Amino acid sequence: MELLAQERDRLLRSTTRVVGIVCALVSVVGVATSLAVPVLPLIAGFACIAAMVGALVAFGTNGSTWWTAVTVAGGLGAVTVLTAAVAPDDRGVIASALVPLAGGGLASLLMAQRGHRVGLVLAAGAGVVSLVLMSWASGTVLSAPVSGVLLGWVLIAVIAVWISRSIPRVARRIYSIGTAHRAERQASETEAQRRQGARLLHDTVLATLTLLAHSGVGVSEHAMREQAAEDARLLRHLRLGATPQPQQSGDYSLTRTEESPLGQTLESVKQRFGRMGLEVAWHGTGQVLLPKNVLDAFLLALGECLENVRRHAGVPEAHVTIVHDEAMVRAMVTDSGVGFELDTVSAERLGFKESVVNRLREVGGDARLFSAPGAGTTVVLEAPR
Amino acid sequence: MSGVPEDTMSRGLPGEQTAPRTRREARERYRGTERRQARGLPSTSTGARSLRQAAQPGASLGAGHLGLGAAVLTGLEALGGIVFFLVHWDDYTNPWMTATAWALFVVAASCVLATVLTYGERLTGVAFGLICVVLACIVTLDFIGIWPEHDVGHFATASMAAGFALLPITTLRPAREVIAAIVALGLAFVVYAAVSTSLTTETLPGIVTMLAVTVVPPSVALFVVHRFRQLVQRELDRVLVQSNVGAPQFAVGMLASDELARLDLAAEKLLDAVANGSDPLPLSDASASVAASLATELRLHLIEGRRETWLYHAITESDNLGRSVAVTDPSALAGHLTPAQRDGLLQALWQMVGDGRTQQPGVPVVSVTLGPVGSDGHPVTDDTMDVPVVIESRGVPRRRLGPAAWTALQRIGPYTDSVREGVLHVTAHCVVNRHPQI
Repeated sequence: MELLAQERDRLLRSTTRVVGIVCALVSVVGVATSLAVPVLPLIAGFACIAAMVGALVAFGTNGSTWWTAVTVAGGLGAVTVLTAAVAPDDRGVIASALVPLAGGGLASLLMAQRGHRVGLVLAAGAGVVSLVLMSWASGTVLSAPVSGVLLGWVLIAVIAVWISRSIPRVARRIYSIGTAHRAERQASETEAQRRQGARLLHDTVLATLTLLAHSGVGVSEHAMREQAAEDARLLRHLRLGATPQPQQSGDYSLTRTEESPLGQTLESVKQRFGRMGLEVAWHGTGQVLLPKNVLDAFLLALGECLENVRRHAGVPEAHVTIVHDEAMVRAMVTDSGVGFELDTVSAERLGFKESVVNRLREVGGDARLFSAPGAGTTVVLEAPR
Repeated sequence: MSGVPEDTMSRGLPGEQTAPRTRREARERYRGTERRQARGLPSTSTGARSLRQAAQPGASLGAGHLGLGAAVLTGLEALGGIVFFLVHWDDYTNPWMTATAWALFVVAASCVLATVLTYGERLTGVAFGLICVVLACIVTLDFIGIWPEHDVGHFATASMAAGFALLPITTLRPAREVIAAIVALGLAFVVYAAVSTSLTTETLPGIVTMLAVTVVPPSVALFVVHRFRQLVQRELDRVLVQSNVGAPQFAVGMLASDELARLDLAAEKLLDAVANGSDPLPLSDASASVAASLATELRLHLIEGRRETWLYHAITESDNLGRSVAVTDPSALAGHLTPAQRDGLLQALWQMVGDGRTQQPGVPVVSVTLGPVGSDGHPVTDDTMDVPVVIESRGVPRRRLGPAAWTALQRIGPYTDSVREGVLHVTAHCVVNRHPQI
């Protein structure tokens, strides 16, 4: 609100400046075209107007009461000098030329006096004095210049009140928009975290999309469709607000559990690779409870290893042996495929470091790789329980 | 992968977005969607919609109320004009023409007011054209009525009110249309004055005043409305950005989360199409490349590196701050700040940016550096650390910074400030929790 009040005052001050200067200049043109004022008073009057314009420029930047006083003095001085110096016959003409200055230039000060009591009194006083001067110059209270000046003051007062009232109104609307926006941001942040948290789900979706990116070649059409249907169903659940876990039974846990059983989820990995043509044989433990983030990392790493076997080993079968003790759970992924020279094929090329080692290290585990050409490959994955 | 370039994905799936039907729609879509999205807000969010509305030329946020005020001014001026005309009735050779002009003015103004109040604060181009035609009729009638006087400066009333009638329209129509109307009206006055009145030193001052009273008010109104819009847009920007103060230590931002939802939906649709056979296997090249780019984008959105601090989001989302503030925060220390400290930093930035203009183009108006922690005089303990927040401001000069800026800085932490070569340097000691709870 503080900033908005500053902005409002700046708006009113710059409006004062624009209105004041334009009106003063219009009066200069009017007085000059009348050719009624003798040279010396004309110079004095224009000097007063110049002082007024300068004061308005300064007022526009800082709004000080001193500049209000200088503007008032300059404006009233100009009106007095110019009307007093001409012959009584020409006074009416000069008065009508000075209407913009008195009714707009001086009145504009009224707009930016919020909180400046002295300035407000000065501006109002200038209004009264200019009306008196105009009545005297035009000879009657009912003349066009007097009514013009009066109208100018009334209009400017209305503008000042209206602008100051419009701003709190619009501020209230802006703040209610802000409240709605804050709620939306929180909701979207929670939503993003929920979606990013569904890593296991996204991993199978990514694997399927990657297969589809190669037009689904190399996988049986039926298996591809089945996998796509399952992934689409999981995504739909995610969209509708659940956090599904890929599981074997097609029945998804709709609540976020702190610990998930390893056995069931291993079965879904096996099925997934089974569809893609890699038979995975399990050995060892069936049920291990792992914290959710560890389980995710462990399964993602395991999936990556099996994907490497499927792509590079050239054999249709892989063995996974799972053992666990009090502190750790270990998985050994072995295949009897082509193998490779550890030094010639860098681990980075297989995405091994990024997708396997780093994922496990994030949760306090590790991974090691053993291989030789023609002797198959073995990966040992470790994760804490 | 071949054929379709990958970045087509960022504009939605092929066929998902229909082509714009009109040029206007295309322009609005470009302005609304692309530009606002680049700023980090999804185009359907309340914030983005409000920003779009505030930038529209018609009666946008708050301008409607301003327009009502302008209508009051028009009414007052018309009342003044009518009273003046009636008082001087006997001076007119043929007052009935002018009286007709005034009657037309009153009827037309009432109609426009009733329409606007009934159908909401908007004015179509056709309606504006109609209003201009009516105003032209009023001016013509008045001009004919005062012809025998041969003194436009002292007798024109209804035609002068035509200028004031443009006041409320400045809030409803784009500025260039109103400028055209003002110019036309001014020219009509100049030509008529030259033809009807002998230009002597007696009549010229009156004519100049008359012309000014007709042309200046709507021009000033255009200026005020323009500044008011700027003010509203700036405040809206500030309020929207303020929502980042309560964000968690790291956030993905509204746009990224929107994108993730979109990608998930696109993947779901594609997988569904594969599953029910509407996209036959093996997939066509086009569908395969869609799958490839979906996978790439999903992967990008899922890796942790996409998370940024609230300060990054605040600066990139804001039109005003984004242009003029540069942030250096390599260790993402901004995420540790408490909401009060964040608020202080943001307020101080708003105050220092000012109107965002500097002498040197290309140099950011304000640069903020957070860290490094553990440097001289900035100790780190087990629980807390003293983050040096260094602000270099080339925007508002030090003497022009109000008390609001300094209290805002105080909220970040104890600070020292100095001015070197016109650049204000502020170093604040921002003591934060090493393990923030937000």
